[in-house]
Amino acid sequence: MSTTSLTDRLGSLLMAPVHLLMRIIDIPLRAVQKATGIGGMAAVFLAPNMLIFGIFVLLPLVINFVYSMTGGTAFFLSERNFVGAEQYQRLFTCTNYLDPMSCQEDAFWTAVGNTFWFVVLQVTLMIGVSLITALILNRDLAARSFWRAVFFFPVLLSPVVVGLIWKWILQRQGLLNFGLYQFGIEPYTWLTDRNWTFIATIGVSIWAHMGLYTLILLAGLQAIPKDLYEAAEMDGTKPARVFRRITLPLLAPNLLVVVVLALIKAVQIFDEVYVLTGGGPGTSTLYLTQYIYETGFASALRNPGLAAAASILMGLVLVVLTLIQLGIGQRGEKKGKR
Amino acid sequence: MGEITLTKIKKSFGAVDVLKDIDLDIKDGEFIVFVGPSGCGKSTLLRTIAGLEKVTGGEIEIDGKRVNEVSAADRGLAMVFQSYALYPHMSVRQNLAFGLENSNMPKAEVADRILEAARMLEIEAYLERRPGQLSGGQRQRVAIGRAIVRRPTAFLLDEPLSNLDAELRVSTRAELAALHARLGSTMIYVTHDQVEAMTLAHRIVVMRAGKIEQVGTPLDLYNTPANRFVAGFIGAPHMNFLAGEVAELETGTATLATAGGHRLLVPFSGHSLSVGDKLTIGIRPQHITLANDPGSLKVKVRLVEALGSETVIHADLNGEKLLAVVPGQKLISPGDEAHLSVAGAPLHLFDRNGLRVKGS
Repeated sequence: MSTTSLTDRLGSLLMAPVHLLMRIIDIPLRAVQKATGIGGMAAVFLAPNMLIFGIFVLLPLVINFVYSMTGGTAFFLSERNFVGAEQYQRLFTCTNYLDPMSCQEDAFWTAVGNTFWFVVLQVTLMIGVSLITALILNRDLAARSFWRAVFFFPVLLSPVVVGLIWKWILQRQGLLNFGLYQFGIEPYTWLTDRNWTFIATIGVSIWAHMGLYTLILLAGLQAIPKDLYEAAEMDGTKPARVFRRITLPLLAPNLLVVVVLALIKAVQIFDEVYVLTGGGPGTSTLYLTQYIYETGFASALRNPGLAAAASILMGLVLVVLTLIQLGIGQRGEKKGKR
Repeated sequence: MGEITLTKIKKSFGAVDVLKDIDLDIKDGEFIVFVGPSGCGKSTLLRTIAGLEKVTGGEIEIDGKRVNEVSAADRGLAMVFQSYALYPHMSVRQNLAFGLENSNMPKAEVADRILEAARMLEIEAYLERRPGQLSGGQRQRVAIGRAIVRRPTAFLLDEPLSNLDAELRVSTRAELAALHARLGSTMIYVTHDQVEAMTLAHRIVVMRAGKIEQVGTPLDLYNTPANRFVAGFIGAPHMNFLAGEVAELETGTATLATAGGHRLLVPFSGHSLSVGDKLTIGIRPQHITLANDPGSLKVKVRLVEALGSETVIHADLNGEKLLAVVPGQKLISPGDEAHLSVAGAPLHLFDRNGLRVKGS
């Protein structure tokens, strides 16, 4: 018996249960198709996914909205009383809108302010650092694969691990102070200094997530045909102009993806910062998600309704940001086609 | 001016020698074509002239000046890439202007040059479109236009027609020849298509495995190929090769015996042959006729391709393949026996090393 026929037989033996399964599935599917028509089959196949999306995304969203209209400390909806827009009113009750401390929920507005500055600085730096790293990794480096892996590894770490690693580095008796001490520099309490802690949360979150964005940008860079650079070289184009006129425009779709993802991720920042600083010192690194979490679950006077209202507002901001970016992307695409 | 001189050019990628001691003089205004099979080094040679690859050894001179260390941009050459390499996010006009803007050329002159090239190539109507909105042929013109606006010393064209369909390739080929006649610039053209090489070139450079096999005019290469490789590469369909032996030598004539016992008479005036020498006899398919004369070859017909104006006969001569292209339409079928005559046909003789026998 030849090898081919043996593998063929083995293959058909292994496939037999699959074929049987197919035949069994075929019976109800044919019946469904008869009932819905061919066009309706698309809906039938989409249904399981939509069901999961509905149960785990849409339904919680609706429930969350309902929670935001209720008051009290109870978790069960049946035990909560309807208060209308009271929670939203509470969030927006301020004597002076320019001063968070004059608001009834001053912690919310402090978190909003912190998150705003965090997002602006972190996303800007994240894009810059990821782009520079991608540009370097796109060159003919020695051990290029090794370096690519090095920059991607932090993405694989759990945010809690990231927080702990950097806590060990930055705490008073941590690695950083130990290193500085070797050079005769006095140890410093990095995690109790308001400014340094804020900078640390930005730096740590960039370190933890830049690998993914670098990878997306690197893929974009590699998709740009080498010929274009050679044509530019023949034309005597200076490197800065090549970057501005060729690399950047051709990388725009990838950059847009990175900006959208980085923005959403930055607005949602929580785990690693919670482990690293716990929002402190004071409220200097209290970001929106932590405020929501603590208001809803952790504080002694928990208020799930208020937390739900804050999370609905945060969701709205994310939707608006995403829509703006999708709009920019579509305009770019249309321009490309024109 | 556009004289290019290559002296002992070597190029290696690691341990692989891609170009081996290339010597070539390209005259000003010449249309020269590098031709050869894939991987023969023709594109690499073009890229070393362009300055996109650094040579490992040897010298490149443009108009008498050594340019080995001169950057690609400063060599005064323009290149048309196989993929066209047009910037997809720029309009045709921006593509044409991009190189000129690098040299801070006044805007009015940039506009003039673009208009002139666009008129010459008949792409005026597409100036505001992007490459993605153009057909292959139109993109090809834009790529040539981008080279023209720079007014280079020489044009380097890397398989520029290979992405076009057969019909467009023929018409663009003719346009390229006309463009060269009009511009009068030196053009170096790389292709693996010997028909393109034959129709466009003043001189063809046949390359194999990083070496130049022969340089000459298209008809030189066709009529007196320097070796068996060139003989087989130039001409379509390919030349027939039969194994043979020198049977007799007389003044001015050599009698050759083929494997099947046929005897062929060849005019021969050299001294490099002796009776008993083993040879390869090359016969172009177009030089074989269907005739039953004394000395004709008795063959078995394997396949007949009736093309209307001519008939291609694939035949078997004592186990060796023989191809004949005879004019007109012939009533002949596979399986038939036929007589093919080579009387009066120019026969090409190659020695054991594949080199042309002197005096043949």
